[in-house]
Amino acid sequence: MKKNAVTIAIAALLLVIFALLLFTFQVRQSEVVVVATFGKPTDTKNEPGLYFKWPWPVQNLYRFDQRVQTFEDKFSECYLADHSLVLASVYIGWRISDAKAFYPKFQGGSIEAAQRQLEGMLRTAKLQAFGSNSLANLVTTDPAQFRFEQIEQNIQAGVQRQLDEHDYGIKVEFLGFKKIALPEKVTDSVFERMKAERNQYITKAQSDGDRQAAMIKSSAERQAADLLNNAEATAKRIEGEGNAEAAKTLPVFQQNPDLAIFLLQLEAMKSSLNQKATLIFDERTPPFDLFRNLPAANSSPTQ
Amino acid sequence: MSDHEHHHHTHQPGHSEEKAGSPGHSEATAGAPDLHDAGSQALSEALRSSFFIVKLAMAALVVVILVSGIFTVGPQEKAIVLRFGKPVVQGTNLLLGAGLHWAWPQPVDEVVKIPVTPTGNLQVRSTVGWYYVTPEQEVAGTEPPGSGTLNPAIDGSVITADRNIVHSRATVTYHIDDPRAAIFDFGAGTNHEFNLEGVSNALLNAANEAVVGTAARFNVDDILTDSGGEYHAAIQRRITDLADAEHLGVAIDLVEVRSVAPRQLADVFAQVTSARQNREKVVTDARADAERILNNATARAYSVTNTAETARNNFVQSVRSEAGSFTNILAQFQGNPRLYEELELAKAMSVVLTNVQDKIYLPQRADGQPRELRLQLNREPQEPNQR
Repeated sequence: MKKNAVTIAIAALLLVIFALLLFTFQVRQSEVVVVATFGKPTDTKNEPGLYFKWPWPVQNLYRFDQRVQTFEDKFSECYLADHSLVLASVYIGWRISDAKAFYPKFQGGSIEAAQRQLEGMLRTAKLQAFGSNSLANLVTTDPAQFRFEQIEQNIQAGVQRQLDEHDYGIKVEFLGFKKIALPEKVTDSVFERMKAERNQYITKAQSDGDRQAAMIKSSAERQAADLLNNAEATAKRIEGEGNAEAAKTLPVFQQNPDLAIFLLQLEAMKSSLNQKATLIFDERTPPFDLFRNLPAANSSPTQ
Repeated sequence: MSDHEHHHHTHQPGHSEEKAGSPGHSEATAGAPDLHDAGSQALSEALRSSFFIVKLAMAALVVVILVSGIFTVGPQEKAIVLRFGKPVVQGTNLLLGAGLHWAWPQPVDEVVKIPVTPTGNLQVRSTVGWYYVTPEQEVAGTEPPGSGTLNPAIDGSVITADRNIVHSRATVTYHIDDPRAAIFDFGAGTNHEFNLEGVSNALLNAANEAVVGTAARFNVDDILTDSGGEYHAAIQRRITDLADAEHLGVAIDLVEVRSVAPRQLADVFAQVTSARQNREKVVTDARADAERILNNATARAYSVTNTAETARNNFVQSVRSEAGSFTNILAQFQGNPRLYEELELAKAMSVVLTNVQDKIYLPQRADGQPRELRLQLNREPQEPNQR
């Protein structure tokens, strides 16, 4: 009996495994599975886990990648409202949002086929968005005019609207400018303008330097003159103070002004007739007035 | 079954006789049950050995199942275990690192391996704003020559707010913050494998958008100098915002931004730089001159006031000493003023006559008339050959 029980258990286990393989299916984290009953889509499973199904030929499974796919459109010319011409390329991140709607639209649920479709829609939305904005909305330092992100949002909304209209089961998760550039023929004139601007900067830098240097120097010279003037004034004041101080001794000299004057004259004479001086004198000059009293005054001048 | 019943039935008398205690008869009838026992025994043996083999096979199967669940993760990959399609978080980490691991065999568990870089550092570099360089030129740090115009199909560039053209690029270093989002939410084209290519593409697009969109609202000089780092900060902020908004599951560690003028204008841009540097030099030189002028003036002013101080002190001192000596002299003078004067004059004259270099004595004319004296004050220097 025991042996029979083991046999039955093994048989049951095998049966269960077989039934599980036949009647269940798994959905991976990144997948979405469409369950079709007799060829008609009846259910969608987009959460990962283990699910029940009827075996073939009752139910069929169609698996799709539910991850965000990114691609970019062609780098193409776009006219703006102010007739400027730019080259632009847009990247787009999209994913299957409704697999039941998605898979009949694209053969075998082909990602490439979906992207081809998306590219066409993107071109239309891009041209529309560019056509209703000027270059000043795309490149400017003025935040009030800058509409870069709004233009991106408009393109995204334009693509999503077309997708929804045709019920493609696709959601655009994000969209942005990959590249914006000027056409080659325009770059030449831009370079010429940039060159002219740079030359202006060179001239400005030179004159700026000279002007600043002159200002710095003249300011320093003025300050230096002020300093010297102040010093001269101080010196004058000091001199005046000295005179006032000296004047205090005047009463001493007033005791005998003749003597005072005589002494001053004497001092002045001594200090003025220094070594490099030439003195011309005759016998009236003391002490040579002694010569007057000589018996014969016929001597020649002495050098 | 009927054979068995018949067999049983035919032996019934023999059985009763055995009960009656006849040994001879018993021997005669013993052959049939022996044959039966041997057969069942053989069958039972066969069954037993079959069961043993089955058991062995089952045990082997269990071992095989258990062993088949062992898997290794290499140094340049990470692994995620999916149980019935759903990621199993082991501990706090979704990603299994290098080493030996175990999971239930298919179809319960599925092991997904994700290639990673050896250093673990992930990096993308924006591609759209830079001119074309070959990998060799990139490594060597050399630049291709610039032609007259810029072909946007070959060389990338960005348009600035003041409608100029520059080259600018951002290099983004990042790490995976949310592996579940980064791995399971982003695909790379039709590739159904799990890897980080999808999220890397999405981040590259974000970096491109950030460079194009940020350059569009900065002037060319602000981009090229970026002295305040505002352009760099704006790009980093935009990349981070896009990564968050798009739920990429990555965290931005570092954004390096590099911007250069178009190669076609390299000379004129260099001249501007040189002119600006020269301006700085002129101004610096002027500052040095100004400092020298001020220092000189300060020194001179100091000297003027000092000289004045000294002169005052000397003057006051000398006047005082003269006043002192005057007081002393006064008594002598008052005794005989004329004599004193004559004496002092004679003394002074002797000093003067000793000191002066040239002394000219001019005797009075006999008629008492003054002599006419002609002095040549500016003598012409004597020429050497006349000497």
